[in-house]
Order: sequence, then C-alpha cells, then structure tokens
Amino acid sequence: MREGNNVHLALFKDVDPASEALDKLREFGIAEDDMTIISGVPFSEKVLGRPILTTNIPKFSIAGFMLGLLAALAINGIAVLQYPIRVGGMANFALPSFFIVAFEMSMLGCLIFTFLAVIWECAFPSYGPKMYRPEISDGRVAIVFNCPPEIHTQVHDALATLGAEWVHRTEATKI
Amino acid sequence: MTAKAIPLPQSQVEEEEDPRQHLLFDPRPREELNSMVLEAMHSTPISFWIAVIILTLLVIICLFGAWGYMAVVGMGTAGIRRPTFWGMFIANFVFWIGISHSGTFVSAILRVFKAEFRRPFTRAAELMTAFGLAAGAMYPLIHLGRVWVSYWIFPYPNNRWLWPNFHSPLVWDMVAITTYLLGSTMYLYLPLIPDLAMARDRSKGWRYSLYRIMSLGWRGTEEEWVRLRTAIRIFAFAIIPVMFSVHTIVSWDFAVTMAPGWHSTIFGPFFIAGAIYSGVAAVIMIMFLIRSTMLNMKYFMREEHFDALGKLVLVFSFTWTYFYFSEYMLGWYGGDAADKALWQAITHGPFAWLWYLMLICNILIPWLTLWNKKIRRTPWVMFIICLLINVGMYTERYLIVPSMIARNRFPFDWDSYLPRIELVISLGSLSLFMLLYLLASRLIPLIPVWEVQEGQFAHTLRKVGKTHVPSVSETE
Repeated sequence: MREGNNVHLALFKDVDPASEALDKLREFGIAEDDMTIISGVPFSEKVLGRPILTTNIPKFSIAGFMLGLLAALAINGIAVLQYPIRVGGMANFALPSFFIVAFEMSMLGCLIFTFLAVIWECAFPSYGPKMYRPEISDGRVAIVFNCPPEIHTQVHDALATLGAEWVHRTEATKI
Repeated sequence: MTAKAIPLPQSQVEEEEDPRQHLLFDPRPREELNSMVLEAMHSTPISFWIAVIILTLLVIICLFGAWGYMAVVGMGTAGIRRPTFWGMFIANFVFWIGISHSGTFVSAILRVFKAEFRRPFTRAAELMTAFGLAAGAMYPLIHLGRVWVSYWIFPYPNNRWLWPNFHSPLVWDMVAITTYLLGSTMYLYLPLIPDLAMARDRSKGWRYSLYRIMSLGWRGTEEEWVRLRTAIRIFAFAIIPVMFSVHTIVSWDFAVTMAPGWHSTIFGPFFIAGAIYSGVAAVIMIMFLIRSTMLNMKYFMREEHFDALGKLVLVFSFTWTYFYFSEYMLGWYGGDAADKALWQAITHGPFAWLWYLMLICNILIPWLTLWNKKIRRTPWVMFIICLLINVGMYTERYLIVPSMIARNRFPFDWDSYLPRIELVISLGSLSLFMLLYLLASRLIPLIPVWEVQEGQFAHTLRKVGKTHVPSVSETE
C-alpha cells in the first residue's frame, strides 16, 4: 500500500475488532489496496479476510541457486582445467568432487538471494517517516488506510465505535 | 456382559498434568512478555561483569596469546608429532562443528515438522550454531600453523599459478563451513528482526540506536510478515541438507583416507548422529544456564522443554550407539590386522580408559536415566547428564582423531599423543564461545517473543465432556 497524504492509522486492542474495522472500511468504499494491517505477530490472510499476498522471494531463491551452480562450474570446472593438478589418478575435472562443491555453492547462492530478496522487497533499510506506533509491538493491531478527506470524519467515528483506541490523521514518525 | 467403570486411584488423578503448566497454554499479554524479555536483557549484575572480565582475559591470554606464541615459536609448541599430525585442534574442530548442528536441528527441523515446543528456545539454539561455528572455524586456521598464508585456500586468480585443489576434503570443508556459517547467521537474523523492532520501541540511548539500525525499519505490515515467513520457510528447508552436508564433509576428512579406523562408509551418518546428539545436549545445558542466571526465563523455559529435548537426546543416544556398534563390530570381525591392533589399543590398551569413559557417558548414563520422566523434567539433573554426554562426545572425537592416527598401519611408527599448548588454546576457544554467548544474551532478545505469542494464539483448551483437552489451530 502506498501511504499518500490522506493516510490514517487506527489502533485496536485486538485482532477481532481490527478485522471488523476492515469490513467497515470496505463498506465506506475503501479498496483493499488502500489499507494494510500492522501487527506484532503475523496473521494469515484468512484471519483478516484479506486478499492473498504473493511474493517473488522463491523466484529469487531459485535464481540464487542457479547463480551458485554457475559459480561452482566456473571455479571448480573451468578454472580447474586452467590450473591442472593431478591428484590420486583422478581426472582434473572429476564429477564426484564437483557435485560436492556445486551443492554447497548452489545452496549458498540460494540462501544469500533469499535473504537479499527480503531486504529488497521490503525496501530495507528504511528509517524514514512512516505510519507507526510503538504500541503495535506491545500487541496492538493497527490499520493503516488511505481515505478521501470528505469522508474521513465518518470513517473515524465508525472505527471509534468498534473500539479504535487512537484514530486520527497522524504525523508519520521516524522509525 | 456389561462394562464396569473402575475409578482411577487418587494418586494417579493428582499426577495428571495440568495443560496450563505448558507455556503455550499459559498466555500472558504481549506487553508483559516484552517487558520480561527486556528486563532479562537489561539486567547486568556484578556477577555478569565479573564473568565478562574473566572470559575476556581468558580469550586474550589463552586463545589469541597462546595462538600468537605458537605462530611465532612454531608448531613444536604443540604436541603434534609423527605420526599424530592431527591432534586436539582437529578434535576440537569436529566437536564445535558438531555442537553447531543443534541450532539447525532444533530450529529448522522442528519448525518444518511444526513441533510447537520449539518456540521459546529456537533462538538460544541458533545462537549456539553461530558461535559454535565461529569457534570451530578457527581451528583449521590454528592447525594450519602458518596462518598468514591461509588465503591460499581461496580460489582467486593469482600470479603464483596456484589454484585450490577441489579434490581435497579440506577445500570442501572450507566451502561447506562458509555456506553453513553464512546460512545459519542469516537464519538467526531473519526471525530476530521483529524482536529487534520490539526492543527498539522500548529502548533509549545507545540501545535505541543499535536496535533501530538492526531492525532495518521493520513495522510489521502484512507484506513484511508474508515476506519474512516465506523466507524463514525457505531457509528452514534449505539449511537442513546443508547441515547434513557439513558434518558429512567433516567426516570425509577422515573417511577418504586409508587409515585404520577412519576408512569407513558410514562415517557421514555416524558423525551426523553424534553431532545432533551432542548439540541437543548442549542446548539443554544452555537452557539451564539461561533459566538459572537470567530474570524471568523460568516462565519461558519450562520443565516440558527439558522433557521434550530429553526424549530427543535419548533417541539420538540410541542412534549414535547403533552406528558406533556397527563401526566396532566390523573392525572386530573384519580380520584386518591394522584394524584389530587399533581396536585392541582402544579397548584394552592405552586408550581404554577413554573408551570406557565414552561408553559410560554416552550410553550408560543416558540409558539409565533419560527414560524417567521425573529426571527429564528436573533441569539441574538434565544439565549434569548433558554435561556428561558432551564429555563423552568430546572423548569420542579425541579417540577418533589423535588416538586412531597414532595406531597406523606401521607398528614401528606408533606413538602416543600428548597435547601441550592445545590445552590452553582449547580453554581459550571455550571461553570465546561463552563470552560471545554472554554478550549476546544482553544485546539481543534470547526469546523469540513473536513466535511465542503466535504459539499462544494458536493453542487453546477445549472442553470435552468433563475435562479440558488441548486444541491447536492452524494459523499460518
């Protein structure tokens, strides 16, 4: 969700009123793309009745695996033939020892790319001003949503009746 | 014919376990969980600083001082002599790499199989992996002697026309340990991010700055959680084969030689069983120390966890014994003169006291004690049992490395190995491990709070008839 000028943050004590508040926001015509949940524990999409989110991380992992394999081929295949050392009658390029190095380097590529994919997709590190309240890591559940200025008073009132502890158009804070 | 109901004896009814004794059925508000973990982190009594100072001195003097002295004077200061060219350094290397398997086992394998009891101690185990690997990875460098040329093992174009020998298990070791060290460090860090953000939100001063940088701007949006959980799942699956490969490759350092006692096709799985055995025992020891020395940890690390891990230790004791007996059986039965002489020396000769110590610690003690639930649920007893298991596992590595190599195929070349500066350096590396752990315990949340709370959300007690039964819902 892109946090524009009309972004609001509603803070709830629990996940149940938060999921009801999501329904209320839908009734006001706010699109799914214009709202998100912030919480201290992960809640699955089915808990919140939200559309399934997808991620490209597995694709990055596979790409990393392939790159690792290519790197293994380069240092344990091509380079070994350039700098030949005869060992115990084995071929300069021997498949059994290649498999070992190739496995390790492919897995290393996979793991590094998985890690980097999280950093990349989450746009980390990101310390700038963002919609956030420290109470979230104490168990509160927040809904951040974009809302047209003409209805934001009605939306605030509606969410307050559902138990929103803190609802107003916030100043984004540095994290 | 009618069935007759027989009431349970009163003592048996009283013994029935209350599910609320389990962490996941004894929820507390998140705010309180956070406070408990942070209070434990912030508490640094005088005993903590005394321990830090002593360990720092031991690391400086025994590890870096003794290592530096050996580098300047030469490898003659060590007890390594012909024919025992692999001594205590390599035994320590195998031991520490073995210990490091616990983190992956406890965290990744139990995560994949959704063993819920893992939740409070996964991070403690993952830290053991990272620091155990750091301690273990130093030993090839120490053993190398001329440590300043260690970069020759790295594959990069150079004008010496030297390229690492990729047929050598030592190069495989370097590649595998690098993969495992980097992989397990990233696997430690990823689930830590939300807890670092929690610490950031409740800290001031230098701690705030540190956690702010380390938490990378985490907020806990839906997108962030989905990405994090996907990555953790990939890591959990991918790091398991890496873990198996690392200790298999360590075992091949020995098994690919023609030395008696080493040349074995089952060394890979045998080493892995031993590594997980000693690693899980070490996790229990760490859990006991955390529980006894840090505030509020008795709430998170309970008897149930010692019980569950105690069962795993017993299973791996059986597995290790099975492999060890297979090794012994074929050496004894095979008729190879060198093998027979080796096993004679181990079972009746100069190494017999080590052999019996190993059998007592690794087989007799766990088999006599760990079947008993009361013992498994008594943390201090488990600590002693696991300490003895690790003494036994270290003895096993000592028997495999310097003892076996001292009885080679040439009787005129037999000798006994007597460690010298190795003992000091070993104390130094143990101190390094303890120091790193001690410092980490005050810098990062040792309990994955969000994972514990997630588990508490998923676990409820459901009333069935006249009793309450545990019920677990699928929240992922």
